[in-house]
Amino acid sequence: MLVKRLQPMISHARRSYVGLMFQVMGRALQAISEVDEKTRNETRALPEGFLFEMQVMPNGPALIVEHTGDGLLYYHGDSAPRPVDLSIQFKHLTHAFLVLSFQEKTSVAFANDRMLVDGDVSLAVRMTRVLNRLESFILPKLVAQRAVKEYPANLHLPEKLMSAARIYLKVATNLVETVRA
Amino acid sequence: MTNKYYEFFCPVKVIAGKAALEHIPYELTGLAAKRPMIVTDKGVRAAGLLDPVIAACEESGLEIVAIYDDVPPDSSTTVVRDIAKVYRKEKCDSIIAVGGGSAIDTGKAVNILVSEGGDDIAKYSGAGILKHPLKPFFVVPTTAGTGSEVTSVAIISDEKKGVKLPFSSSFLLPNAAIIDPRMTLTLPPHITAATAMDAMTHATEAFTCMAKNPLSDAYATAAIKKVSHSLLQVMDNPKDEDGRLELAQASTMAGIAFSNSMVGLVHSLGHATGAICHLPHGLCMSLYLPYVLEFNLESIREPLGELLLYLEGPEVYSATPAARRAEASISAIRKLRDALYKRCELPRTLKETGKVLESQLDAIAEMALDDGSIMFNPREVTLEDARTVLRKAWA
Ligand SMILES: [Fe+2]
Repeated sequence: MLVKRLQPMISHARRSYVGLMFQVMGRALQAISEVDEKTRNETRALPEGFLFEMQVMPNGPALIVEHTGDGLLYYHGDSAPRPVDLSIQFKHLTHAFLVLSFQEKTSVAFANDRMLVDGDVSLAVRMTRVLNRLESFILPKLVAQRAVKEYPANLHLPEKLMSAARIYLKVATNLVETVRA
Repeated sequence: MTNKYYEFFCPVKVIAGKAALEHIPYELTGLAAKRPMIVTDKGVRAAGLLDPVIAACEESGLEIVAIYDDVPPDSSTTVVRDIAKVYRKEKCDSIIAVGGGSAIDTGKAVNILVSEGGDDIAKYSGAGILKHPLKPFFVVPTTAGTGSEVTSVAIISDEKKGVKLPFSSSFLLPNAAIIDPRMTLTLPPHITAATAMDAMTHATEAFTCMAKNPLSDAYATAAIKKVSHSLLQVMDNPKDEDGRLELAQASTMAGIAFSNSMVGLVHSLGHATGAICHLPHGLCMSLYLPYVLEFNLESIREPLGELLLYLEGPEVYSATPAARRAEASISAIRKLRDALYKRCELPRTLKETGKVLESQLDAIAEMALDDGSIMFNPREVTLEDARTVLRKAWA
């Protein structure tokens, strides 16, 4: 009985958490593309106007970013202005929760059939690298090691601290701007 | 509790062994198919491989209504459309693909068009677009390596746009794969070697990459055992029907393994090398396999060590200390490559191929990094890592 009554609450909490993490990641993606040259080297190869989506199937929380040129990403929130070019879809909210709460690495989630790629696979591989870079930047090292397959060896502490501070700052201003808008 | 989760799916009926082709009429009838079309290539026809297939059907009063024998090595959307036209004109109701990877992929794509309708195959590109089962579809592989008879993907190039279209759906899986030793008996030595090493790589990567799972593992180890045991035997005695059947079964088993657990960096590098330097796929696999295993070594020590049992047999396995088994597995693969080099000069390094320039390595590395299979490699690969592996494989 108790389990039955608790289930909707857990599910609701997970949904809110996944939605919130998507917002943080979306803003962080935009921020990291503004401050990190290595990220821009990856994103520059995306076509201009390229729309990338992460979504929970069937109609769950979503995150949409656009490549606006020169490697810069723009966070669109949870709805796309036109059909997306590349979509990474979690099969279930639980799977998104596992990944976004860093209990399951993105690469493991792919390997475990937790998500589907709809679109050009080589671009999905590229976006996975960007997400890995993002996660190793904004998370404490211990958590990041769990989230990505290998923590980049050349990500030295000062660089990480410096950049992380700027990304956090960027995320914060972006959040404030949204609240005001 | 572990987060480990996996999926395994293979609904293909495997019909294997002596006189397997003669089962085709019965199996077709079981699916209410009466007017099959054969999709194949000129090489298969010239080698006389269609004759036993046609004879097997005619003896049972089943007429092959149409034969398309002009599938190119890199099949295209135009070819698919042309074949679909013939299929409709001749009122066929089923497809038998006879050949290697290209003929099989073409058969899958034609099946989409004739089942779903229309002339534009590009419309169905992507994952999970198909929602209904397709027409009865049989595959008779004539090489022992690709494993395409048990995979749910097809790649067709769109010549006008210059892109490769991927199709992925479980409905692309054939109803049956017919493995008959007669079909691979005449394969020339270097193709026998290269395709068998492709199967070996499928099994090894399936067993050591991130999506490995207990069911795939069973198929992978069995495939490795068969290739290790029979490949050199067949190289020395090409008409060895039993050995040929072993290799063909190994290829199918390795195909079942990797289609459920994916492949890794050997394939990323191989796909890039194939695209840039136009080297055959199997050759690239044989070439890169030991170097990638060395690169991955510390992430795969345990599973790679286990493979020694299947590569070298129980005596060598038990005589090798557990801590040395992973290295011994790599040595066993190198030994096999040396033996193949002696028999048919299958290149072991990029330099030995004579078709790759040292200046192309950077382009190969960059392209490999964007290949889908790299996601399943057990170790993260940076551009510098890929370059290092390529430099080791150079000479
Ligand atoms: Fe392969």
